[in-house]
Amino acid sequence: MALSGFVAGMVGLAYASVPLYELFCQVTGYGGTPQVVAAAPGTVSDKKIAIRFDANTNPKLPWKFKATQTEMTVNVGEQTLAFYEAQNLDGEDVTGTAVFNVTPLKAGPYFSKIECFCFTEQTLAAGQRVDMPVQFFIDPEIFTDPDTKDVTTVTLSYTFYPAEPEEKSVDAAEPDNKRKKS
Amino acid sequence: MLKRLFAAIAVVAVGVIMSADLAMAEMVEMRSKPWQMFFQEPMSPTAEKVYDFNVFLLWVEGLITIFVLGLMAYICIKFNAKANPKPSKTTHNTVLEVIWTGLPILILIIIAIPSLKILYFVDKTQDAEMTLKVIGNQWYWTYEYPDHDGLTFDSYPVPDDELKEGQPRLLSVDNPVVLPANTNIRLLLSSNDVIHNWAMPSLAIKLDTTPGRINETWTHINKPGNYYGMCSELCGVNHSFMPIHIKALPKTEFSNWLAKAKKEFATNETQKKDAPVRLAQAATAK
Amino acid sequence: MANTAEAHHDDHDHHMPGFFTRWFCSTNHKDIGTLYILVSFIAAIIGGAMSWYIRLELAEPGIQYIDDFQFYNVLVTAHGFLMVFFVVMPAMIGGFGNWFVPLMIGAPDMAFPRMNNISLWLLVAGFILLLLSAVIGDGPGTGWTVYPPLSNQEYQPGPSVDLGILSLHLAGASSILGAINFIVTIFNMRAPGMTIHRMPLFVWAILITAFLLLLALPVLAGALTMLLTDRNFGTAFFVSGQGGDPVLWQHLFWFFGHPEVYIIIIPAFGIVSQIVSTFSNKPVFGYLGMAYAMSAIGVVGFIVWAHHMFTIGFDVSTRAYFTAATMVIAVPTGVKIFSWLATMWGGSIKFEVPMLYALGFIFLFVVGGVTGITLANASADLVFHDTYFVVAHFHYVMAIAAILAMFAGYFYWIGKMSGRKYPRGLAKLQFWVFFIGVNVLFFPQHFSGFAGMPRRIPDYPAPYEGWNYVSSLGALITMIGTILFFIIVWRTFYGEEAEANEWGEGATTLEWAVASPAPWHTHEVLPDMTGKAPAE
Repeated sequence: MALSGFVAGMVGLAYASVPLYELFCQVTGYGGTPQVVAAAPGTVSDKKIAIRFDANTNPKLPWKFKATQTEMTVNVGEQTLAFYEAQNLDGEDVTGTAVFNVTPLKAGPYFSKIECFCFTEQTLAAGQRVDMPVQFFIDPEIFTDPDTKDVTTVTLSYTFYPAEPEEKSVDAAEPDNKRKKS
Repeated sequence: MLKRLFAAIAVVAVGVIMSADLAMAEMVEMRSKPWQMFFQEPMSPTAEKVYDFNVFLLWVEGLITIFVLGLMAYICIKFNAKANPKPSKTTHNTVLEVIWTGLPILILIIIAIPSLKILYFVDKTQDAEMTLKVIGNQWYWTYEYPDHDGLTFDSYPVPDDELKEGQPRLLSVDNPVVLPANTNIRLLLSSNDVIHNWAMPSLAIKLDTTPGRINETWTHINKPGNYYGMCSELCGVNHSFMPIHIKALPKTEFSNWLAKAKKEFATNETQKKDAPVRLAQAATAK
Repeated sequence: MANTAEAHHDDHDHHMPGFFTRWFCSTNHKDIGTLYILVSFIAAIIGGAMSWYIRLELAEPGIQYIDDFQFYNVLVTAHGFLMVFFVVMPAMIGGFGNWFVPLMIGAPDMAFPRMNNISLWLLVAGFILLLLSAVIGDGPGTGWTVYPPLSNQEYQPGPSVDLGILSLHLAGASSILGAINFIVTIFNMRAPGMTIHRMPLFVWAILITAFLLLLALPVLAGALTMLLTDRNFGTAFFVSGQGGDPVLWQHLFWFFGHPEVYIIIIPAFGIVSQIVSTFSNKPVFGYLGMAYAMSAIGVVGFIVWAHHMFTIGFDVSTRAYFTAATMVIAVPTGVKIFSWLATMWGGSIKFEVPMLYALGFIFLFVVGGVTGITLANASADLVFHDTYFVVAHFHYVMAIAAILAMFAGYFYWIGKMSGRKYPRGLAKLQFWVFFIGVNVLFFPQHFSGFAGMPRRIPDYPAPYEGWNYVSSLGALITMIGTILFFIIVWRTFYGEEAEANEWGEGATTLEWAVASPAPWHTHEVLPDMTGKAPAE
């Protein structure tokens, strides 16, 4: 009986891994998960760090999505505003959601976002173009942590996906699954 | 005066020819050779360290293996039933047990120290002079140069029946990714569909391209040349047929290439539309 | 096994059940063990045929036989699943484990004889489902690691991957129930006087393996179910666009996957301990060290999984941890290797076929193990991940070492199981053919890996041709060795009668105290083990 308990316990843990994994990443910033905070800290240091902005669009989303600025140098601790732009190239309204991470991964705990457009669905009307703001700051602790004090550049990357995925499999460009001799 | 002019022209001409020769002679070809038993020559700081470390590991492991084999041979000769009809009853020897637990621990520590040093070295992106973004697709690569006006193009494998003279089979692409040699380059990797892996053995690069996520590493290509790698994560039917070809150019030539490429790939929207045709070709060609 | 039926007891009349009841509704640990070995043989032929076909294609660059690359990926996938889940595990745990654990501890049968039978038939059902998955639809072309997004409905449409998932669910359930059976049996049914620290090392091995199964398989089951619902019921556990993460699958899979390889090898350790002791006519050196080394390997095996994931892009300090933890396992493994050598030292060694196989195991496991040390280092792995170096490593430790241990077990115990002796000369020949074959097959793959050849490809650039050709020749020799083995199996049925203890005074465990073939019911009176020397 105890052994069956073991079994059930392990299955339960496997499922629990889903929210636990997410919670762990969010709390620790592990794996390049940026922190989400309410406001910037009071102190602004004079140390600088370069922030790069990367944008990806899943091929199923008919949007043009890019970062308005490729790179900016910011003061550590200072609240900064950056922009991404998205344009719906389709003839119909389309809704998308974005996922994100930062690199190097160890910088994750020190990249704090105050406001961004992630995980909330964004609907763009046909042909509509919008600017999407990201408000963030770099925690000054980044330079006291021995692991991260050598970081000079942090890259923030977003990937936009369609909010309601289509059911059909990879279309149009779907090759024959068999590669035949000519 | 005319003599001087001719002399000047001659010097310049010789200089041009020589540097062209030099440039061509300097282009290394980095891919496996037939019957290759060991690594491709290391061509980046990371690769040099990884190569040396692996040589060290091989020595340690080889010696351990030969030692065990030697012991076994000795035992088989000295203690077979004919040579030793009466077996001993020894089942313990504390000193021996301590040695064969402690000595391996020591050896492992000796291995771990350089191993971790290299690990941390590879992880720290050296001050990068430029960035290359790599996106994996089924079954081709997309390259983006975010620091160079977002120049973007696709790199499709060349089917067998379209190979030109000198193009190695299963390693050639229509648009190699061109990078400057002797430059610290940041690499950002992601994917548009399934997990792929961008690998370049001679530079010791190997990193998964995962959809919805950016991975970062860096490289520094020591010499100009042609570098070849292959996708290294099963990604579907044409996994074996999405090679990576880096063409590393001296810095000045790289700038020249950039100017040309921006013009050539300005219409990359149309290139995307061609994609279905290219895939079908790859699928039906041998 | 007709002889078994004739061994009646005087006390009471055995009404031997009819064929269907005896073989399809068995509650006898020996018969169930026999059936497991039969399943293993059948799966070995199919899995082996797939690998020979793969090697046939890979002998030369270009495509000669398999121009359907989905089919190639399906072969690679099915070969892996078959060998791991339906060849090695059934033979060693279901086969030898069922046969000899009760015999060695002096128990009349397993604790739950009917559940034992359910385990067997669940495995058979899983086997059938796996075969179906390969022929219905396009087949699962994902590799045995089944990584999403490739394994999602979008990229592998149709029922194949789903059938594969269900196959693994059943095989997993089979093993979990079997594990419970072994743990309860070993804890509760040892003969009087046989304390835990006096039971044979093979029993220790099965006990540790059972715990690994119990803790690791449910995680696989959970992950498989998540993939199943992702594929069919709109969940998004592993879909990045909808809040999921493909990397989560990799963590869950390898959390199971790494203990799985210890599940494969620890029973082999147990078999080798028995055989080395028997044929050196000497007790195993450092019994406690051996038992606890296996336990340590089992425990540490649970905290090293991410060394299969070094290139997915996770934190450098975590990679450093997994590098260090993985290398730690080399220590208890080294203890075992040296203990086996110390067992033989001072012994009186007879080079019978089981001993040849055990010696082959020890040496080739060391070869496979040292390449594991290379791969354990995340920095070194940068050039080896997903290359043939990895393929060479795991085939050395699994396809060579574990299979050699299986052959060793077969030749050691077939006399006890069938009452007949194997043909000695032919078996020695078969050993050498197989030994040479597998080394010619897998050693050159290290070179291919150094040169940068990736895994799971049906075609490769021309420079990789040389070693691939040699490797394929090795596959041919191995195939001949395997055919020879099955000839031996056949010939054994007509072999000389085996005595109760055909191996002499070196064979000290309880199975050698009963007749050959072992009577259908044994230890109906529990043997008294108090005061006897520690079993080895």
